[in-house]
Amino acid sequence: MKHHILFLLPIALVMLLTACAPVEDDIFTTAHITVTGGDDVTVTSVQAQVKLINVNSRQVTTAADFDGVSATVELLRGAYQIDIEGVATCQSAENNIRMRQFRCQSDYVEFVGRDNNEVTLKIIFLD
Amino acid sequence: MTDMRRQFLLILIFMTIKALAIASNADTALVEHTSIGLQPMMEAIRNPALHGLAYKTSFSQLALGIDMQHQSRAFVPEKGNGYALPYLKVSTHHSLNERSTVWGEASYMTGKQHNVKWNSTSDYDLLQPYILADTLGGDTRRERYSVSGGYATSINRWLLGAEMLVRAEQEYRGHDPRMRGIVTDLTLRLGGGYDLGRYRLGAAVEGNIYKQTNSVAFYREEGVIPEYQMTGLGTEYSRFSGDKRSLYYDGGGMAVVLHASPIGQSGPYADVMLDEHRYHRKLAEYNSMPLTDLYNEHVGATIGWEKEKNHSLAVFGHIDYTKRTGNEHIGGTSDARYFPVIACLTMYKSHILETYAGALYGRGNWHINMTAGYREVSEEYVYPHRQMDAAHVYGRLQGQCFIRPSGKWLLTLNAHASYYANTSDKLQMPFANMDAAFTSLIQHKQQFAAANYTDFGAKVRADYALKHSRYGLFAEAGGAMTLCSASEHQTAFHCSIGITF
Repeated sequence: MKHHILFLLPIALVMLLTACAPVEDDIFTTAHITVTGGDDVTVTSVQAQVKLINVNSRQVTTAADFDGVSATVELLRGAYQIDIEGVATCQSAENNIRMRQFRCQSDYVEFVGRDNNEVTLKIIFLD
Repeated sequence: MTDMRRQFLLILIFMTIKALAIASNADTALVEHTSIGLQPMMEAIRNPALHGLAYKTSFSQLALGIDMQHQSRAFVPEKGNGYALPYLKVSTHHSLNERSTVWGEASYMTGKQHNVKWNSTSDYDLLQPYILADTLGGDTRRERYSVSGGYATSINRWLLGAEMLVRAEQEYRGHDPRMRGIVTDLTLRLGGGYDLGRYRLGAAVEGNIYKQTNSVAFYREEGVIPEYQMTGLGTEYSRFSGDKRSLYYDGGGMAVVLHASPIGQSGPYADVMLDEHRYHRKLAEYNSMPLTDLYNEHVGATIGWEKEKNHSLAVFGHIDYTKRTGNEHIGGTSDARYFPVIACLTMYKSHILETYAGALYGRGNWHINMTAGYREVSEEYVYPHRQMDAAHVYGRLQGQCFIRPSGKWLLTLNAHASYYANTSDKLQMPFANMDAAFTSLIQHKQQFAAANYTDFGAKVRADYALKHSRYGLFAEAGGAMTLCSASEHQTAFHCSIGITF
């Protein structure tokens, strides 16, 4: 009996030392959001505001820095609802270039990878 | 007249000295079991093998009592501003023979907790900040059954012991919001010891299983308010707050206690305790979706020197460090009320550091205990960043005296006084983006966390030994007052009656 208790002690110590809290401090990630006009229209650049709503915490993150048709946003890892509104420079099949108002929307996008999460959203033209 | 007064004073002084002299010889079980002289050993007797040796005498007590407390304004809103908790408790410590001891305790407590706000979960101290909460609150009723028992024996130089503690508790409210928390808590301890020369070494392991089912119901449809799944420092898990009011906590943990002390002589002693407990909060109505995990890690160490001869003396230093880590599970898109967990992030971090040095001195019928220490509490929510810190230095003085006015009576007097002075505090909150109710909660908590406290109190116990019987009767009454620099105060009252045998 006494030897059993002596054996229990190191086992418990090892369990305690290995049972430390699993800490996940990598809480931020990068999301690359690209907008596309579809098959008929080529979007060359956009000027728009991206609004990302965290589905779980309802926190809102916004960004407006587009590089061509893509925006890069630093945010908390998680699931998001995305709303984009702005103007896009569009080139039609006939090579006509014009500015058009648009919006993009997605109810659920996961940005849970530690880096380089990518999503492409199709533009809805408002005019 | 002056002569009469002088005679009366002399008689009074003589009677007091005589009473003290008689009490100094009082080697009763009662004195041994209620003396504060054992306080430096309290960590060690978590080891059941050492618990068996803590007392030389057998002592049992049946008590019926009440604990009452009232705060002019709740110091911690989640715990309410007071309580009235009557209880019935029976405890025993019985030496079977020179080698073996059994002990046990059974109690029933029922009563009311007043004005609990921002908390619909039982065991706040254990589970905070991961609780269910609402802005309305109200009085709650509490009912607790607890049973514990242990056995210790010695085989040559070896000491062995085991102990089990069970607690079943329910807390509920009879009006909206009708919170209910049902707790079961089981702890098992196994301990061993070895007499190595003039030293006694001890080691014990402890395992714990904890469960709580927690829900809130509303009977008046027009009175329904949101229940928040709190995530720390005034944040909440919005997606599952509101009408998700049924959850449960699943937890438990382990602890190791090590001890070394001299056997019946002067010398240094030491205790080390390590423990880790985890509590998982799960949503009952969404296929037990895990919402949060709380990890409590604690390490405590005491080192001291004790002397036991004509008088007892102990000087000691203690350090305690508790780290609380909270992970939030990120729920994905739902499929038939099933939410997959797509990520887990560490969002809540808390550190509590406490260190103190003290001395205990006593001579048979009286003891005095002095401690001076430092306590620092730091809480952080990682993003959006929130932080609340407070640090205090404190001093505490405690005294106990046994007086025997006659052969059948024994009086026990206890008194204490302490002062906590705030040395630093910090509050960092995104107030501009916070709801008014959460802002008010945080400001309230910070006000009391950063305050200074003066606490003093006294307790008197009278024991009467029945003639030609091993039974005795006792009555106990005590009161305490805490003054807070936030212009608030707390009063506490305790009384009990019972029999000893």
